[in-house]
Amino acid sequence: MRRWSVVVAGTLLLVAAIAGVHRLPAAESDVGAAELLRQVRGAEDHSWSGYIETEGALQLPDTDGFSDVGALFGERTTMRAWWHDGQHWRVAQLLLAGETDLIHRGDTTLRWDYERFDATLSRDPAIRLPRTADLVPPVLAARLLRGVDVDDVERIPAKRTAGVSAPGLRLVPPSDLSSIDHADVWLDPGSGVPLRVEVHADGADSPAFTSQFREFSSARPSTDEVSFEPPPGVEVGFDDVLDIADAANQYASVRPPDRVAGLERAASSDQAVGVYGRGMTEMIAIPIRDREADPLREQLAQTAGVDRSAERTAVSVGPLGVVLTGAAGEGGWLLAGTLTREALDRAADDVLADSVFLGDR
Amino acid sequence: MIRVELVKLVRNRRTWTTIAVIDALPVLVAVLLAVTDIGPRPGTGPAFLSAVLADGTLFPLAALGIVLPLFLPLAVAITAGEAIAGEAQQGTLRYLLIRPVGRTRLLVAKLVSIMAFVVLAVLVVAATAYLLGALLLGNESVSATGPASVSGSAMSTPELVGRTLLALGYAMLCMLGVAAVGLFLSTIARSPLGAALGTMALLVASTLLLTLDAADVLRAYLPTRYWLAFVDLFRDPILWRDVLRGVLLQLAYVVVFLGAAWANFMTKDVTD
Repeated sequence: MRRWSVVVAGTLLLVAAIAGVHRLPAAESDVGAAELLRQVRGAEDHSWSGYIETEGALQLPDTDGFSDVGALFGERTTMRAWWHDGQHWRVAQLLLAGETDLIHRGDTTLRWDYERFDATLSRDPAIRLPRTADLVPPVLAARLLRGVDVDDVERIPAKRTAGVSAPGLRLVPPSDLSSIDHADVWLDPGSGVPLRVEVHADGADSPAFTSQFREFSSARPSTDEVSFEPPPGVEVGFDDVLDIADAANQYASVRPPDRVAGLERAASSDQAVGVYGRGMTEMIAIPIRDREADPLREQLAQTAGVDRSAERTAVSVGPLGVVLTGAAGEGGWLLAGTLTREALDRAADDVLADSVFLGDR
Repeated sequence: MIRVELVKLVRNRRTWTTIAVIDALPVLVAVLLAVTDIGPRPGTGPAFLSAVLADGTLFPLAALGIVLPLFLPLAVAITAGEAIAGEAQQGTLRYLLIRPVGRTRLLVAKLVSIMAFVVLAVLVVAATAYLLGALLLGNESVSATGPASVSGSAMSTPELVGRTLLALGYAMLCMLGVAAVGLFLSTIARSPLGAALGTMALLVASTLLLTLDAADVLRAYLPTRYWLAFVDLFRDPILWRDVLRGVLLQLAYVVVFLGAAWANFMTKDVTD
């Protein structure tokens, strides 16, 4: 009996030790919301490195051309990243039996895919679909903070993240058009770099998307860590077109309107694809051909809560709204963003009414 | 006592038959890859298998990825299940304990014997795979600068050998956790098959729960959670996070289940 007592006590101790490491309380900070906002904005150019996990609950339709985006927002992703500044960084998505790295230098990005044993260079297009590097906490937080004023933030309790007590800041969208209820950001008290970001949809208890450091360093990574030399036997290829959004932006002979649903078109989107609004109220409008629109329309039609009419297919997944215009067999406009359903419908009406067809190119 | 158990292990024909069966699968895979030249699609199949057509020196790792999820733990579970329950079933446990040897020493000798089996099995698989990789599979990226790490940087041959040895050691440690569970169940079950099946049930349940988001709270405790973390030894720089967690978790399993085996075996009423 005494022997069993020793074993049981030892087991409980081990379980408690593992559980305890994950449940250490966070020390509260008395720094105000305005000061935290200033700190997090001041840290946008800060160097850092770390191990990151993102977790998305957004079950997006899985179709060719968009499958990577669906995985990013609907699954768990683990990454290691080394960040000098906005021009020089490396983000490695860790896979069970491989790795996909993005290495950014100046205005080009090199993509290393171990499982394909392939390295591809591409220029940074004006418009592209989201990728892993957009979802690391500092980059995601910087995007959500666009347009946010000191009146839109408030303090929330600190949370233990990446081994430190991180003071928290709640961001409330400044625009009524946003489908995001709020976004919470916890930052490193030393550097101000965001360590954890949660995006909450209207009326949801749990976050629709979370990105957090599990390990973090505010030290500047070495040059070697943000560099890449292709291994022996690998020739670096070049991609003219990065993804479906880039292709549409370069080649579609149409121009979207300057303003939809009361939101201005971003100055950077001056070709076929329109980006409207900013921060937590942002939307993209992509013209797509029938061959891409049809499978997407079919996938959207099978998504829970789809709202389908003869000329429009709409889905809301957490805070993300998606509308595809046109009927079966036709191309259409794909609108996606963190806008309310009503705002997206208005935007779709405006895009259809005010787009300009340039003729065959 | 330990020497006796080791001699028994090495002389037992079943030991070598089991190892041969474990080894047969990677051998078959190597032959098929060499004959057809068709590797798994990128992102599918066991770790490193899609890379071996270009670089045969990685085949020991691919072989490890092939046997680690099922074949090796199954063999360890059967061997560990035999340790005490097998002796009891054959009616030899009583005679073993008549000898002037403590039960703790017998238990330790059994564990050492199981680990010797694991080391033998892993080394045979790795050595066979190395030979097959060199003879049958590709050597495109083997140059003066060596093969590539998972992160795309060049690895020197000594670096590759060092990391491969670390990966083999890590796999052996993972199997030590399985051996501890099997040994504990072997002190409880009346038949070795029951002990082996119990061990496998735990591993299958662990693998299943890992795929379930609702079981997130249990992930850190599941025995198979970090088994494939040996891949992280081939990233650049090495990602120690999951490897270290895997080592600690396996040691925790060893301490807990060996302790339980010891507590049970010391007070067990041996009649067989």
